[in-house]
Amino acid sequence: MTVLSSVRRVTLRPRRRLTPALLFLAPSFIILGIFVLWPILASLWYSLHDWTIGAKEQPWVGLANYVELLNDSRFWGAFIHSVVITVFSVAGIILLGLALALALANDGVGNRIIRSAFFFPTVVALTSIGLVWRFLLDPDLGLVGAITRSLGLGNIGLLQSPQLALPTIIFVNIWRNAGFVMIILIAGLKGIPEDRYEAARLDGAGPWKLFRYITLPALRPTMLFGTLIMTIQSFQIFDLVYVMTGSGPLFATDTLVTMLFREGFVNFRTGYAAAISWSLFVVIVIISALQLRFFRYNDVD
Amino acid sequence: MLRSKPLAAVAAGLGLIVTGCSGGDGSAGGGTTAGVVELSVSTGFTGGDAPGYEQIVKDFNASHQNIKVTMSAEPWDTIAQKLPSAWMTGQGPDIAAPSSDPNVIAQYVKTQSVLPITLTGDGDSKVNVDKFASNLVDEFTYDGKLYAVPANYATLSLYYNKALFAAAGVKPPTTVAELKSAAKALTKDGTYGLVLADNNTIPMWPVLQWLEGGDIVDGKNCSVLNTAAGRSSLQPWVGLVADDKVSPVGLTGAEADALFSAGKAAMEINGPWAAAGYKKAGIDLGIIKVPLDTNGKSVTLGSTVPLAISAKTKYPEQAQEFLAYWTSKTAQKKFSLTTGFPSLRTDLADDPELRADPVVSVFSAQVPGARLYLPKVPNATQVDSEAYVTMIGSLTRGTALNDATDSASAKIDELTGCSGT
Repeated sequence: MTVLSSVRRVTLRPRRRLTPALLFLAPSFIILGIFVLWPILASLWYSLHDWTIGAKEQPWVGLANYVELLNDSRFWGAFIHSVVITVFSVAGIILLGLALALALANDGVGNRIIRSAFFFPTVVALTSIGLVWRFLLDPDLGLVGAITRSLGLGNIGLLQSPQLALPTIIFVNIWRNAGFVMIILIAGLKGIPEDRYEAARLDGAGPWKLFRYITLPALRPTMLFGTLIMTIQSFQIFDLVYVMTGSGPLFATDTLVTMLFREGFVNFRTGYAAAISWSLFVVIVIISALQLRFFRYNDVD
Repeated sequence: MLRSKPLAAVAAGLGLIVTGCSGGDGSAGGGTTAGVVELSVSTGFTGGDAPGYEQIVKDFNASHQNIKVTMSAEPWDTIAQKLPSAWMTGQGPDIAAPSSDPNVIAQYVKTQSVLPITLTGDGDSKVNVDKFASNLVDEFTYDGKLYAVPANYATLSLYYNKALFAAAGVKPPTTVAELKSAAKALTKDGTYGLVLADNNTIPMWPVLQWLEGGDIVDGKNCSVLNTAAGRSSLQPWVGLVADDKVSPVGLTGAEADALFSAGKAAMEINGPWAAAGYKKAGIDLGIIKVPLDTNGKSVTLGSTVPLAISAKTKYPEQAQEFLAYWTSKTAQKKFSLTTGFPSLRTDLADDPELRADPVVSVFSAQVPGARLYLPKVPNATQVDSEAYVTMIGSLTRGTALNDATDSASAKIDELTGCSGT
């Protein structure tokens, strides 16, 4: 009996397979749907209204929020700051991460300790990092102020100067993330088969040629991953700016996300804030698509 | 058996989601256990004055056996993010201080998330509205209904570092002219004469402007920053900061406080909440009234935090009873004595015990001349962040007075809807 029934079950399986599979997926789909997909779509709906959380009537404004956004100098300022932060941060993070990875790829005890030190900022919450740096950079009470004074440069308010605040944020962002990229690039380096180097050396390649023609091409997928993650993260930068400068001085460090937060949660303009978030979404989709395209092309090459 | 396992897992998963989503029963806060009504209160009071508020709650719970109030304190930012949607959907606390900015109440009134306070009248069990300072009542009244009570009322005074004054041989200033010369005289050797914050702070610059007879907006909410009076009220202070360096530029309130606490600033204009921290930092502290203005009158900033009830609370009666207790004469007198805050009640102004207290008396004496910052000005939050803070920031960094005041005025008029007439 048991044998028969199990055989029967096997023969029945192909027809009924679909239902349990979908049921297995259902929890994820429901969670994603409720907590990810629905809010995304709802925010698009909000962005087409003069939306006020809790108000009885939400006046439909069509694309007026987007039109206002395009004419808002604050938005363009925030957009440019986000682009500047992203371009310089990503370049700095990848270059520094690569340099660190090449320097610290060997598994000595000393290297492991130094690696941990560089990786450490990645583990710490951005808010804590922002607070610590802000204290260090205080021109009157912080360590950096004391150093600049002892060098005869006087008190330099790095975060109080509209010219220097943005570069300072970028510096801290690079300092924070270079360790992460270093770790993934070290993993990438270890995945390169030793025989390729051997073959290249037999062909007479020097250190530069080994790096240029063996290491770099082999690291490309890892670097794509690092670049993509860092680009998205830098474009969405919020915590660091919010804690270190609060978008100031004079909106010199205002980014798309800090502006979104200000409009949505301080000025209660939910519809406008939703429009900002959709602009950010579109920009990130475009950049990610370009990056994937660019790197894939090279890969095939 | 084999097939029922995944089904059970899915069912369990769904069950979790369903219960997760229906956790709320559609009404704000609270609950009852054995006939005791439980009320939750959410505030952003985390400073030196926090124990004063906790004492009010403790005393209320001790004297009201049928109500149990639990108060929590979170940063103001956190409350601002959570409360609008929480109150709209009938969740969140029964009672809350929605923001340290009293103008925010307008937003909650607009979304009908706050309960109009009707339990008013005489006696300890009712909210004694006619005993509150009248500008506070005006601030929270919309269309003739009161939507919040003041959780506190603070005035700003002049804190000074006695040791630095003695070393420089300067006497504490009593007039605006003396204030300016003292600020200049005390600025030397890495110390600042008068530390001024211009962002993320209790407003200090408006006080300086008022001292010189200037203002930000007029009765029609039109900017007066670019009038002759407005400009001449800014000019001397901008000069003192930009040229004489009596204060660093671009400080937040916290940074200014830190400088004063570190003994690197001789004077700061601040509220009563700051006293405890300065004393703890070991500053030889003096607190005096803000010096008299150019006409010999007392003027300073008054600041209040609203305390409001969720429109969807299950216990509107009890919640109002709590607000009545909070603002009662007994509770407020005790609060003033513990925190140094002046009283929000006019009937405590002449209280002998409060008058005898050296700290409370300084802050109380300035109540008659105290003015709120942008009271009921439309879009006041943006007028502050987009126009005023930006203007002070650019002036102290060298922008010409006329340019900065013109562009700030244009922005303010646009935000407040002033027609320019």
